[in-house]
Amino acid sequence: MIGRRRLLAGVAGAIAAVPLVSCAGGSGASAGRLRLAFPAGGATESLDPHTGSLFVDQARAKALFDTLVGYADDMSVVPRLAESWQPDPTGTRWRIRLRPAEFHDGRPVTAEDVLFTYRRIADDATAAQSASHFADVDFGASRAISATELELVLGAPNFEFPSAWGAPATEIVPAGTTDFTAPVGSGPFRFVSFEPGGTAVFARFDRHWSGPATPAELEFVLMEQESARVNALLSGQVDYAHDVSANSVRLLEQGGRARVHSAPFGTMQALLLKVDRPPFSDPRLVQAVRAGLDRQALLDIALSGQGRLGNDLFGAGLKYYPPDLPAPARDVDAARALLREAGADGLSWELQTSSVDPYFESAASLIAQQLGEAGMRVSPRIGPAETYFSDIKEHGVASLSRTAALPVPTFLGQRMTSDAGSNNYTGYRSAEFDELYGRALATADDARRADLLVRAQRLARESSGNVVWGFSGWNVATATSVAGVRGAPPNSLDWARFDRVSVG
Amino acid sequence: MIAPAARASAAVLPRLGVALVQIAAVAVGVFALTALLPGDTAQVVLGEHADTGQLEVLRRRLGLDQPWGTRFAQWAGGMLHGDLGTSLRTGRPVLDEITRNAATTALLTALTLLVVLPLAGWLGVRSGLRAGSRFDRAVNSVVVLLNSVPEFALALLLVGVFAVRAGWLPATAGGLSGWSLVTEPAVLVLPVGVLAAKQLSALARQVRTGVVTANGAEYATHVRRAGLGERDVVLRHVLPNTIGPVLQQLARTVDGLLGGVVVVEALFALGGIGSGFVEAVKARDLPVVQGYALLFAVITIGINLVIDLVARRFRAGAR
Repeated sequence: MIGRRRLLAGVAGAIAAVPLVSCAGGSGASAGRLRLAFPAGGATESLDPHTGSLFVDQARAKALFDTLVGYADDMSVVPRLAESWQPDPTGTRWRIRLRPAEFHDGRPVTAEDVLFTYRRIADDATAAQSASHFADVDFGASRAISATELELVLGAPNFEFPSAWGAPATEIVPAGTTDFTAPVGSGPFRFVSFEPGGTAVFARFDRHWSGPATPAELEFVLMEQESARVNALLSGQVDYAHDVSANSVRLLEQGGRARVHSAPFGTMQALLLKVDRPPFSDPRLVQAVRAGLDRQALLDIALSGQGRLGNDLFGAGLKYYPPDLPAPARDVDAARALLREAGADGLSWELQTSSVDPYFESAASLIAQQLGEAGMRVSPRIGPAETYFSDIKEHGVASLSRTAALPVPTFLGQRMTSDAGSNNYTGYRSAEFDELYGRALATADDARRADLLVRAQRLARESSGNVVWGFSGWNVATATSVAGVRGAPPNSLDWARFDRVSVG
Repeated sequence: MIAPAARASAAVLPRLGVALVQIAAVAVGVFALTALLPGDTAQVVLGEHADTGQLEVLRRRLGLDQPWGTRFAQWAGGMLHGDLGTSLRTGRPVLDEITRNAATTALLTALTLLVVLPLAGWLGVRSGLRAGSRFDRAVNSVVVLLNSVPEFALALLLVGVFAVRAGWLPATAGGLSGWSLVTEPAVLVLPVGVLAAKQLSALARQVRTGVVTANGAEYATHVRRAGLGERDVVLRHVLPNTIGPVLQQLARTVDGLLGGVVVVEALFALGGIGSGFVEAVKARDLPVVQGYALLFAVITIGINLVIDLVARRFRAGAR
């Protein structure tokens, strides 16, 4: 009996000793290393900056590489590798001058590198995320003028072309790069190690054109579960947690152990109705849905009050967004009258939703209830998160969708024009809209271009199936010892940017 | 000399045949089920901004434009030569993908069994020998409680108490996997604790039941009356008779652990076969899904086979 007891005591002692051992060995944190928890998820496990589609892919790319321009919070462009640029009067020839910058192996960043990169992105074989941004470039006519100057030639005028150079997954890679197992970039951090599906470590690049970064090292740790990221931050395992939900904000700020940084309305939350197929090919039924929604209730409940009311247009707070349009008020009687008029009393339809966004499921049930009061039978249908966005392009008549911040003209061009193909989720086709949009891109004068873009958006608001009910906030959290992080909309320059962050 | 060996192989061979058929059935079944899932790897890889042209190019490159029958035939053909194929998502051999993650899970499972086996044995024997005592009732209540709490709830509770509040243990494994975990054993304490708590109860109760039954059986009473010491009664007569059913329960424990690691690996951000499998399903990475399915099938069927055969030995010995 004594023997058994002693054995057990030994086991218990060994277990109790484990934390001490690990404290002595250090928990992996070294001075100056910033530890970042990002959601994982099943996309490509590579450091190729042009093919990753997840936030962690983009965050890693931003550390290792640079883009020609970046996006300010309102998605207007700010210079990065490009020092200046100048279009010709037709808006089809763009001359770009590069600032002096260096890749991690000491080679200078040249015009040839930029041309190689954009050609690679536009090549179908790369399957790049941002291919459509460069589909219109005539690479035969584009050329390097000198080592630091190049000219890009477009098939059609586009005075908004510079925003393509700041889009996610347009990072400049050295000419001739085919292998990304130990990539060389010109970003503020250089490659140290990367285990596909696991941890990545990057070290400060001392000769970065903007000066050396503050942290000596970055360590990207993948944690798919939001609870794991929050707990890791609270227990001091990481310094930064990406993408935390509104529900975790209170827990994180309790007792001053962590700080939450919010971008107030980073993401559009929309109900997309396909106007090219029944029943929503009848515009009265689209109007009935718009009138039947209680947007304030959706904001208060589905978004926990953190966000902003939607006005059926993308891009609240961004450049070219018309800020003066009133948000539609709820009018259940009008919705009922429209239904009757269309001969569609008791109309029933399926609303596609998924767990791809934490707000979708509560929004879906609220929408079903609100439209039920207006005389429609809406049944939410939950689809798989991994292929959700391609599913809703092809199937069904109504779905919930969300879009992070991107320049308003990019959104209009890629989602609302007739030649947007399947990326035009609502099947909106309008010759008048296309004409206004094309004319805006071909207009050199900024104010007149803005005016045309606002007219195009008002038109789309009346007749597309894009029912934008709100804008959700966007949260990241840091340990209280971390300085230099602020809430910035996803895709903007300051989002997931770590070269100016310090650990206290 | 020849007779026992021949008897053993006569018992083993048909079972092996059945096991092979079972494994093949799992391969076909999982392939069919994955084929039924909506979407494919091309859609997952290209994500939200994919257009039809890009999808076609990628599908052709990955061979996703081939009919299902052809793809299964190719996979099965490779299998027969010991080639599990390459991942659609990463282009690396499936075997590499799996072995990278298997080390983590093997470590987790082995540590859990190291904790569970002696503890369940001790608790089960002790409470079985003193059935109805205060000790027995206390063990029973704790064990029932642990068994009724779902793994994820127990994990979140333990993390909340020991990692976030007390700060004694790391809240997650912080993306560590494989043998690198050995360098930071502290990260394993909570995951192993959760897995062990769940499996401990069933096994301890099985041991207790066996001990109670054997202890009250006629032969135990008989040898006691014959004047054998209590210690010898337990060691030589009670325990050997409980081993058969306990081994059966042990097979279920291993099956249960395979299920539990999926939850535990996700919650503690551990890169093992559970999260690897879930990721492969999410990416519709069929060759990798098939690889994992085979691994699970081989482990489950193999362990059940071995334990059946061993248990048969013990039954034979008892007779």
